[in-house]
Amino acid sequence: MKKLDVRLLRLIKNSKGQFISIAVIIILALTVFVSFNMMRDNLDNTIAHYYDITNYGDVFVEVTRIPGNAIENLYDIEGIEMAQGRVSNDVPLRVEDPNEKVRVRVVSLPQEEYIVNDLYTIEGRSLQENPRTAVVLQQFSDARSINIGDQITPYIAGRDYPLDIIGIVGSPEYIYLMENEQSLLPAPERFGVIYVTEEFAQSAFGFQGSYNQVVIKIQEEHLNKIDTIVEDIEDQLDRYGVRRVTKREDQLSHSMMMEEVEQLDQMSTAIPLLFLIVAAIIINIMLSRIVKNDRMSIGVMKALGYGNRAILAHYVKFSLAIGLVAAIFSSFFSIWLSQVFTNLYIQFMNIPLLQMDIYYIYFIYGILLTSIFCVVSGLMGARNVIKIMPADSMRPEAPKAGGRILLEKITFLWQRISFSWKMVIRNILRNKRRAAFLVLGIALTYGITMVPVFMASVWGNLFTIHYGEFQTMEYNIDFAKPMNHNAIRELTQILEVDHIEPKVEIPFELRNGWRKKNVSVIGIPQDTAFYNFKSPSGTPIVVPRDGIILTEGLGKILGVEIGEEIVLKNFIPDREDTTILVEGMTQQHLGTNAYMNIDTLNHVLGERDMITGVMMNSEDQVVLKLQDVKNISQVQSVEDMMNSFLEFMDMIIYSVGIMMLFGGILGFAIVYNTTIISISERTMEFSSLRVMGFDKKEIYKMISRENGLMTMLGILLGVPIAYGMCYGVVSAFATDLYSIPLIIEPRSYGVAAIATIVFVTVAQLATIKKIYRLNFIDALKNRVS
Amino acid sequence: MSEKVLMKVEAISKIYQMGEVTVNALKDIDLEIYQGEFVVILGPSGSGKSTLLNVLGGMDLPTEGKVFMEDQEITGYNDKKLTAYRREKVGFVFQFYNLMANLTARENVELATEICKGALQIDEVLEAVGLGDRKDHFPAQMSGGEQQRVAIARAVAKNPALLLCDEPTGALDFKTGIKILTLLKEINKKYNKTVVIITHNVPIGAMADRVIKMRSGGIIETQINDNPIHPEGIEW
Repeated sequence: MKKLDVRLLRLIKNSKGQFISIAVIIILALTVFVSFNMMRDNLDNTIAHYYDITNYGDVFVEVTRIPGNAIENLYDIEGIEMAQGRVSNDVPLRVEDPNEKVRVRVVSLPQEEYIVNDLYTIEGRSLQENPRTAVVLQQFSDARSINIGDQITPYIAGRDYPLDIIGIVGSPEYIYLMENEQSLLPAPERFGVIYVTEEFAQSAFGFQGSYNQVVIKIQEEHLNKIDTIVEDIEDQLDRYGVRRVTKREDQLSHSMMMEEVEQLDQMSTAIPLLFLIVAAIIINIMLSRIVKNDRMSIGVMKALGYGNRAILAHYVKFSLAIGLVAAIFSSFFSIWLSQVFTNLYIQFMNIPLLQMDIYYIYFIYGILLTSIFCVVSGLMGARNVIKIMPADSMRPEAPKAGGRILLEKITFLWQRISFSWKMVIRNILRNKRRAAFLVLGIALTYGITMVPVFMASVWGNLFTIHYGEFQTMEYNIDFAKPMNHNAIRELTQILEVDHIEPKVEIPFELRNGWRKKNVSVIGIPQDTAFYNFKSPSGTPIVVPRDGIILTEGLGKILGVEIGEEIVLKNFIPDREDTTILVEGMTQQHLGTNAYMNIDTLNHVLGERDMITGVMMNSEDQVVLKLQDVKNISQVQSVEDMMNSFLEFMDMIIYSVGIMMLFGGILGFAIVYNTTIISISERTMEFSSLRVMGFDKKEIYKMISRENGLMTMLGILLGVPIAYGMCYGVVSAFATDLYSIPLIIEPRSYGVAAIATIVFVTVAQLATIKKIYRLNFIDALKNRVS
Repeated sequence: MSEKVLMKVEAISKIYQMGEVTVNALKDIDLEIYQGEFVVILGPSGSGKSTLLNVLGGMDLPTEGKVFMEDQEITGYNDKKLTAYRREKVGFVFQFYNLMANLTARENVELATEICKGALQIDEVLEAVGLGDRKDHFPAQMSGGEQQRVAIARAVAKNPALLLCDEPTGALDFKTGIKILTLLKEINKKYNKTVVIITHNVPIGAMADRVIKMRSGGIIETQINDNPIHPEGIEW
């Protein structure tokens, strides 16, 4: 081995603490880079493959009722590959505990060979002709411990229908199982999907020979014209009462999955980049310190005839070695992490085919990326090698120009600072660039720590804002079919009601020029006590008499402003579209809706006093009492939402912990390295202090004070950085389905600060050895490196 | 000692800028160094002797004038050629030894030899400087004299045309200093190496073939010793 390399290895050995702490940062960066990229590809490819083998549909149409032969006519539209009808309805499921409310979506499956939205049988048999059998979605059967051979009893139109479970399946439509857009979180123990024969569904729901949904597959070469095809479909099905047309991209499970893919994609770039930059800065500072320490050695090397390039390479190899060691470890970790993630996906989502393929190309990209970072930071750090003249390097370096600092000129203040604090302040200002890095590093640590703390409170905020401030009803009851206003009176006879309001909830297509969006428009009384609409700036909005209120996100999608008109395209057969004035934009963090005066909405629909459900507050046992009431399709209580939220918290806490760990490692590495460098730089000074009679503790206290002061400054600077990071997270996570309110609680600032102080303290304690082992006699005697 | 000129220095000057002060380190110096010669450059600190040594060794370039090594003008060299010159032609011995702290004695020598052609046998050279049994020790485990021997071995093993020693005994006690001087003399004889020592220690001049005295950046006297004494006869 070349003797310079031998020297390098021993250099590494002597600074192994720094080497390891930087390597850990790079390991994190690379592990996240490789595993998140692999996971994204795996998830993306698996979903595509899953869709492929299950022949997943491109367009989903909900109608009031459509006969089988009308579906056949759809083939007249150019580009339609397949169109199949099905019956799908959400009904209560009979369970042991009468207080538990479980709902299932009963979906019919055609008896054909080739099916759009085919099922993937995981266990048992596929559905046969026997109408008293069903197959059940895996997430649901897992959550409720339903096994093959068990019987389940959906309650359909006032009757119990016991069905034998013969198979457990996965469906591309429910990879991410949520009841609807308003659900917030999956709750597979309370909502599931079962598949039954067409014969059974049609007879149980009273749909003989007809369907209420059409699933359409579009020929691949026509997919680019999907919007025109959708319009053709809408036109052709208009008279069957189109309630809703959903393209695959808007389908709930699909859009959630794509969101997941997108998030992996964003994280796979952002986290590695941030960590690599921090590592690069530490390497830069560390190497420039080493080069400074090695000044004389470099002079000797040059005197011996080593060129600049060879000496530069010697130091760059140091940083490259960190990168390569990190690359080796991260290769193992990223395979492990991908495995963990894959298992999580398998556990929380239903992707039966998901497996972990290893994409070696990301290892290569990762190693290349790291090498570039390490070489560049190494060159930057060691660049002073070139400036060292062999003749000069033999002479001791001239002392740096010292001067009074600005603070000293403010005599009033300066005189009140104790001597040891004066020393601390001077030391900090002696190397302003490094002080700036340390402060920035601590600020960054604070920011990274804040993100998970913020995220942990976000769901709680989201929940309280949506279900506590935005809408305040305790129960949301939907009827199975539109009813007359009198239904309210009937309900108040069954239940003790504190307050009740009618509502109409109907899907519409909202249009503004070429922009359009399908949403539920909710009609509520003008003096509603249950909804508190607020503009983004916080001004309350009153329900207008004639106009419409859009959620902020919807306004953006449609590109409209308050005072402009949009088109309400209804799905009622032969009904004209209506133009309506946008009179308000409200903040709504969960779901996308539009709101109108209930009477105006009735007028648009050509009805009078029609309601599709009610909202109410009641102390009564609402769920239990409405259990067997006919015509009630669902009772949603805020309490249920709260419970599913609490379950979800476990998963949140897990990921919060991981993020905290990331922040901690970063903070540790930054503080540890800067402290070690600062100690090595001041060996001579500390030795002099020791000779003068300072003890180790006093010297250590001085460094601790410096770091303490820097930590305070870092945390102060960290506050806006943390806010910015949370803002970034909020924008990155905002989707059609939900937007996160950017509210950082005062407590979160405190928690993040405490965490940061802990990280800094741990790093500080790790450097104590260096001071205690400082051999001051040697340091003073030996001017030679 | 032959009459063949190894190095020739023509009218060199060196001006430094140290902060706000301009230092005339060398003033119009002419000098020839012969093949196989043992030269001692004497002068008090600040006389410019170190600067002269650095210029001879290609560690520094003069502000004016020319320096030739075996008829090649090194003052016209670029950085790369200057590096090659130091690598092939010159061996340095420093006052504070300047060994690599984290390399053993042998590795310190190898560090120098592995980049040049025609290097001598390392073990032989280490044997010659009397460190045959200490070669696997690190600098911190050796005495000053031993460290200086390693430094001499490092310079000699390259088999350079010229050995430049900057106060080689400056950091050593008298007895060890004499041993080091004896070693340098032996190398001068055994390997027929040209040795240039700079020192402020006047008695050392007695062992030289030629003594060049400097003051304030100029040569004030050149003295030829027809009968240089053995280093063991030196006392200070």
